[in-house]
Amino acid sequence: MIRDITLGQYYPGYSIMHKIDPRLKIVAVMLYIASLFIVKDFMGYVVVVIGLATVTAISKVPLRFILRGLKPILIIIIFTFTLNMLMTKGEILWEWKFLHITKEGLYNAVFMALRLVFLILGSSLLTLTTKPIKLTDGIESLLKPLKRMGLPTHELAMMMTIALRFIPTLLEETDKIMKAQMARGADFETGSIFRRAKALIPILVPLFIGAFRIAQDLALAMEARCYRGGEGRTKLNALKLKRKDALAMVFIAVYLGIVILERIFLIGLDAKIIALLF
Amino acid sequence: MSITVENLTHIYNKGLAYETIALEDVSFTVPSGEFIAIIGHTGSGKSTLIQHLNGILKPTSGEISIGDIKITDKRVKMVDIRKRVGLVFQYPEYQLFEETVYQDISFGPKNLGLPTEEVDRRIRKSMQLVGLDFEEFAERSPFELSGGQKRRVAIAGVIAMEPEVLILDEPTAGLDPKSHQDILNMVEEVHRETKNTIVLVSHNMNDVAERADRVFIMDSGKLVKSGRPQEVFREREFLSHIGLGVPQTTEVAALLSERGFQVPEILLRADDLISFLAERLPAGGV
Ligand SMILES: Nc1ncnc2c1ncn2[C@@H]1O[C@H](COP(=O)(O)OP(=O)(O)OP(=O)(O)O)[C@@H](O)[C@H]1O
Ligand SMILES: [Mg+2]
Repeated sequence: MIRDITLGQYYPGYSIMHKIDPRLKIVAVMLYIASLFIVKDFMGYVVVVIGLATVTAISKVPLRFILRGLKPILIIIIFTFTLNMLMTKGEILWEWKFLHITKEGLYNAVFMALRLVFLILGSSLLTLTTKPIKLTDGIESLLKPLKRMGLPTHELAMMMTIALRFIPTLLEETDKIMKAQMARGADFETGSIFRRAKALIPILVPLFIGAFRIAQDLALAMEARCYRGGEGRTKLNALKLKRKDALAMVFIAVYLGIVILERIFLIGLDAKIIALLF
Repeated sequence: MSITVENLTHIYNKGLAYETIALEDVSFTVPSGEFIAIIGHTGSGKSTLIQHLNGILKPTSGEISIGDIKITDKRVKMVDIRKRVGLVFQYPEYQLFEETVYQDISFGPKNLGLPTEEVDRRIRKSMQLVGLDFEEFAERSPFELSGGQKRRVAIAGVIAMEPEVLILDEPTAGLDPKSHQDILNMVEEVHRETKNTIVLVSHNMNDVAERADRVFIMDSGKLVKSGRPQEVFREREFLSHIGLGVPQTTEVAALLSERGFQVPEILLRADDLISFLAERLPAGGV
């Protein structure tokens, strides 16, 4: 049910991907996203797919599990695809009343939909292989320069850690409450939109009350352990770059290099290949 | 209404690295009107098992029938199952959501599509059964009640659906001794009055020993033993091996017999043990 949502979820494992420094992974994902916007044709996607496939294979996260992350945004993908397909002007392939599909539209639609898919797949690999705690450690460390400007980086990171930490708890709680109300005959699946929205009340009220209860307990527990914020706090597992991190850096550099070279020298090649094939 | 479970297996997160076999090939039957207790260590699969009995969880494999309805059949309507099988979850007070106790208890009966007068009758009856005074509590907000009272409201919400099978998952967890006894007595009372089938999940041997017709012992997802309390609690060593004990009375009786006392075969009720001891001890002190 509700547990099927994998976006932002951690997949336990011991692969090299799981062990790479979180800061590096965050930067790598940002570079990866940038690379998706450098790529302007399908030849570039070949490079992206190879890169993504390599990293996925190394991470040992089952492909099925990664692909499940696409489910929640499937609608957005379909929406973008349809809009791009119908709204682009150019050489007309098919026409019906005011609707028309053009050659350029089809090309754009596939291209944009794939970009979204790659975007999600790449970034979900980050959260799948990085524990939330490490992720926020990484973000805190990367934000450090902004601390001088008065940004409360530790507090922000702590808030993020807590929020991430409690996503599964709240999902679990939702699951429990849903089951309990289903046992009392609640029906969440049929009826009009209005009825379905109303059916959510028996879930949302207990969920909010539960969330406040958890927040209060947590605040008390933190104070009882003398938590006072970031000043002078040290870390049990301080982040340090290791040899495998250097390897990862090389990998990213090579990947980015190929993407840029492809953009400069091979641009337009895919159109020629497509033209040859059809 | 009888319950039949055949070769029930449930695997959480099947096919993933962290899949858990929560139930493995569990089979049993409960005749109509019986009072069953399920006991087992934490994580032994008790909650998973009972959630199958009203169709909240679907088995990975195996079949379940309630009365003559096979609930694992895809064509069965969920409402029909929920009408027959009432399930009180662990910590049920966390599912309260309405503005008043009355409205909250009415949620279940209303979902069954009953007419207003019938709903009203059931609310009054179930509140009386769980020991909540109607005049005093009906119009109060469930959120301003004590933990024990909230629990009663939540249980009343399920009882009001008048299920023929009533399942309770550790209904006394986290309550003070008085509320603990009250809730258990209430379950017994409901059982006596409505003659329904009861399945009570518990950690507490003492609660189970005196009330249940039969006891099911779960261990790591398997049903390892079942029988009348007298039979099951005879196996002290086996039970302690899987992390469970026996009722205190049984324990005392067993220790006495180790010291050479001629104790009757098995004692479950505290009263029986006391009368046994009283007979043998000199009056006016040892
Ligand atoms: N929703 C779930 N997802 C994944 N695993 C679960 C889920 N619910 C339970 N489990 C696992 O299934 C096993 C059985 O759990 P279950 O809740 O049935 O035990 P229990 O006997 O009710 O324990 P307790 O006495 O603590 O309530 C446990 O190993 C548990 O970790
Ligand atoms: Mg349980």
